[in-house]
Amino acid sequence: MKRIASLLLVLAMMLALAACGNTTNNNGGSANNGGAGNNVSDNAGGEGGDTAESDLQYVKDKGTLVVGITYFAPMDYKAEGSEEWIGFDADMAKAFAESLGVSVEFQEITWDYKVEELNSKAIDCVWNGMTLSDDVMAAMGTSTPYCTNYQTLVYAADKAADFEGLTSLEGLNIAVESGSAGEDAAEALGATTVPVQAQANALMEVSAGTSDAAVIDVLMAAEMTGEGTSYDDLVYSLNLNDTQGLESEEYGVGFRQGSDLVDAFNTFWAEKVADGTVLETATTYGLQDAVILD
Amino acid sequence: MMDFFTSSTFQTVLSALNSGFLKTLQLFFITLLGALPLGLIISFGSMSRFLPLRWVTRTFVWIIRGTPLVLQIIALFYVPGMKDWFNWPSGESGRMIAVCVAFIINYACYFSEIYRGGIQGVPKGQQEAGQVLGMTKLQIFRHITLLQMIKRIVPPMSNEVITLVKDTSLARVIALQEVIWMGESFMKGNSGIAGLVWPLFFTAVYYLIFSGVVTVLLGKLEKKMEFFQ
Repeated sequence: MKRIASLLLVLAMMLALAACGNTTNNNGGSANNGGAGNNVSDNAGGEGGDTAESDLQYVKDKGTLVVGITYFAPMDYKAEGSEEWIGFDADMAKAFAESLGVSVEFQEITWDYKVEELNSKAIDCVWNGMTLSDDVMAAMGTSTPYCTNYQTLVYAADKAADFEGLTSLEGLNIAVESGSAGEDAAEALGATTVPVQAQANALMEVSAGTSDAAVIDVLMAAEMTGEGTSYDDLVYSLNLNDTQGLESEEYGVGFRQGSDLVDAFNTFWAEKVADGTVLETATTYGLQDAVILD
Repeated sequence: MMDFFTSSTFQTVLSALNSGFLKTLQLFFITLLGALPLGLIISFGSMSRFLPLRWVTRTFVWIIRGTPLVLQIIALFYVPGMKDWFNWPSGESGRMIAVCVAFIINYACYFSEIYRGGIQGVPKGQQEAGQVLGMTKLQIFRHITLLQMIKRIVPPMSNEVITLVKDTSLARVIALQEVIWMGESFMKGNSGIAGLVWPLFFTAVYYLIFSGVVTVLLGKLEKKMEFFQ
């Protein structure tokens, strides 16, 4: 009897603790939102009073800008035999850190946890060819778009006849990266989606025949299929954004919600567009047609 | 075939997998070093005659054993920063520290139950014999219980240790670049190589060799303990 009583007490205590957790959560959330509001108005007014809330100051005090990335040629990648991160995003991130007077540190992350990585301050920004979807814009403070992209369909070369000129994906099993813009596109076109952890896993699904096709970023499809890869039997075609009658997608940089780093970035970017650095860097990586210059 | 093993692609993949496996080993040994003693302390807590301490310890063990390790790793790494309690050190080292802490706590709880089984499995008469000889509690534990307990716990511990070898792969959920992460990295791209699947499956070789070595060593330990029979 005594035992049952103490067990119940322990359970009650745990429930109480869990409840506390929830309330603090809510408080934390609203406090953050409040902070965001302050920052925006501070910036609008030119001089800010509340420096304790300034993300820019936090990064400057720390002396490093930690950039969250995944390996994604030609945005963030390493050349063979080199340990240095290069690519359009990596090079521009180095320049941005320099303009802030801090050093840059690249941190590979798990893409599913990009928002948690930001909010827990494990990283300071997500700068990795990130499509500015509604979800991303709701969860982060995002920059103005800097590059365009579209989603494409990857399928087995020997089944190409079935896929060419397709306008609907109804009745097909389509592998997509969970939470990606490709998932949205596949769903919009009526596909039965198979959400997997990464775009690379989506290709493995197609190659193993466990899914009919995959929807991924065109930049990545170009890198990961064809000659010299494990997927030389896969091909890609179709601009799914055209098929849906949507505008092309746009890439942006993600910061913590309400962060004043967004404004710092936008100012920096406008300067670099004006002096030609952006176009020059984009050309180095073959992105001169994709980059946004206005 | 030989061409493949001497190719620069194979060399690049191998050196990446090696660096990943070093992280795996680091995590494995730090976890053992931390969890073996901590587990003993927890087992004392869960056998304590002081009721509140016993209940707190057993509840803690219940929570840790009752939730997935992967969830514990995610919570331990992200929640402190989100709540502004503290930040883990930046970069790879911070991730390694967080993962080690999560593994040590988790494995200590499993070990504590194995210790408890081992200690309580030593017949009570032996402790009583120690008391008759006028030994203190500590002496009884050190000279009578402990060694017999070690003999009893070697087989169940071997099980846990081999599970630990493979559980280290859970660390990649917070982007610790252990051997599976490195294997997967060649699918999307790493060191200028993209679209390769075989490195992922090749990591099995590392796990098999390592768990083979661990099995042999633990078997030897078990043999050494036979003189207690």
